[in-house]
Amino acid sequence: MGVFVFLPLVLPLTALPIARLAEQHLHPRVTTRLLTLLAVVLGVCSTLCLGLLMVVGTAQLPGNPLPDGWSDPEVRAAVPYAEVAGLAAIFALAGALTGCATALRRNHRIRARAHRALDVLPAGADPAVLPDDHPYAYAVPGTPARPGRPARPGRIAVSRGMLRSLDADERRALFAHERAHLRCRHHRYLLAVRLAGCVNPLLLPLRSAVAFSAERWADEEAARVVGDRRLTARAVGRAALIARPVPAPLPAQFASPEAGPVPRRVAALLGPVPSARTWPPALTPAGLAALVAAAGTAASALSSLNAAVALFLVLKAATPW
Amino acid sequence: MGGTPFGKALGGAGRERARRGQGQLEAQVLAALHQAPGPATAAWVQERLGGDLAYTTVMTILSRLHAKGAVTRERSGRAYAWTPAADEAGLAALRMRRVLDGEPDRDAVLTSFVSALSAHDEEVLRSLLDRAGDGGRAGPGPGRGGAGPSDEARGG
Repeated sequence: MGVFVFLPLVLPLTALPIARLAEQHLHPRVTTRLLTLLAVVLGVCSTLCLGLLMVVGTAQLPGNPLPDGWSDPEVRAAVPYAEVAGLAAIFALAGALTGCATALRRNHRIRARAHRALDVLPAGADPAVLPDDHPYAYAVPGTPARPGRPARPGRIAVSRGMLRSLDADERRALFAHERAHLRCRHHRYLLAVRLAGCVNPLLLPLRSAVAFSAERWADEEAARVVGDRRLTARAVGRAALIARPVPAPLPAQFASPEAGPVPRRVAALLGPVPSARTWPPALTPAGLAALVAAAGTAASALSSLNAAVALFLVLKAATPW
Repeated sequence: MGGTPFGKALGGAGRERARRGQGQLEAQVLAALHQAPGPATAAWVQERLGGDLAYTTVMTILSRLHAKGAVTRERSGRAYAWTPAADEAGLAALRMRRVLDGEPDRDAVLTSFVSALSAHDEEVLRSLLDRAGDGGRAGPGPGRGGAGPSDEARGG
């Protein structure tokens, strides 16, 4: 398998150009789906290769439960720098899996807590209007049925403080935005890219890109439902200005004079409707970036497949029975 | 739990202070009950309040709240289990705030309508909205008067 086992660990880098360029050149729906797909495939391949390296590394540890033959020189020869890489992979994989477990647990906990908070309201109360002066609006994704507990549909929780500061039309845009989050199941994309970021930190830029494009997707849906882009832009902008009193001097803003997510969303809504094409034109920077990402992802899948098959054959030959 | 004499919380510095403190104590007890995952006993409330109040004081306050209809109680074993009777929306708001305050890393689950603005963002946003407002007034809506959207937002 040679160097192929390391490639999927660094190939996520090929997805970074499209993560950067998709915002301006693709419809947010396409961006969300494309980037999530890339992140998931690249993350799975990267984890698979870490697993292969970990097997080789574990086989060298004294007292490991794996067959003795797996620490033979032939097995080690299959992986460059087998000693160091194998040991590092044990820690990397442990870290990745711990990160995933933590993220999943947190996801579950927050969703359950939010539902429990809203459970005291009648089930039909949607959107749930909460008597709170602090302005906020959230989409709480539904939970599937468990033994002993029925499924809970997704809900919208909005504070009176938020509603008070918007006029009736702007409220319609707000509700349309939150309903779009629930209807298009944006939380699944967000969880997928979060897990991808846990297994390979090189995929973290995709996480923020998908978080932004999911908001843009919901904005576009809201604009379509209320039939007015400018109104939607005004609703987003005014809600952000009202919610501002949380003084958050983000250190990241020092270096970059680039506008944050909310102004970019408002600017996009004030601009033309994004085209619904599913792939950028080939000879543009975005088109090339998409090609690089697709090639990188394909290479990652093939490399990890190659490495898995190669290691399987080597280990099979080294196993005494 | 009976270590503190009954008079400690309400007595001591005189009835004047005690009377002033009553409403505050009731609010504290009610807030503690709201934080309970379900019906709570007086001992639970006392522990929750940090042990400053005697058990009997907590019982007195709970009985008073019960007389006002602010809490309901049901017998569980030898003690009462208490539940706040506040309106559901208020309770939901309180619980939701606890989720929001207690879970700073919630972006992947609860998608917020807007995220926080930096000072620079705010400037950019105001100028964008001003421009959009101008466009709007030039179009079908001259009735909005002189105040641009950003001015309204600043005011309320």
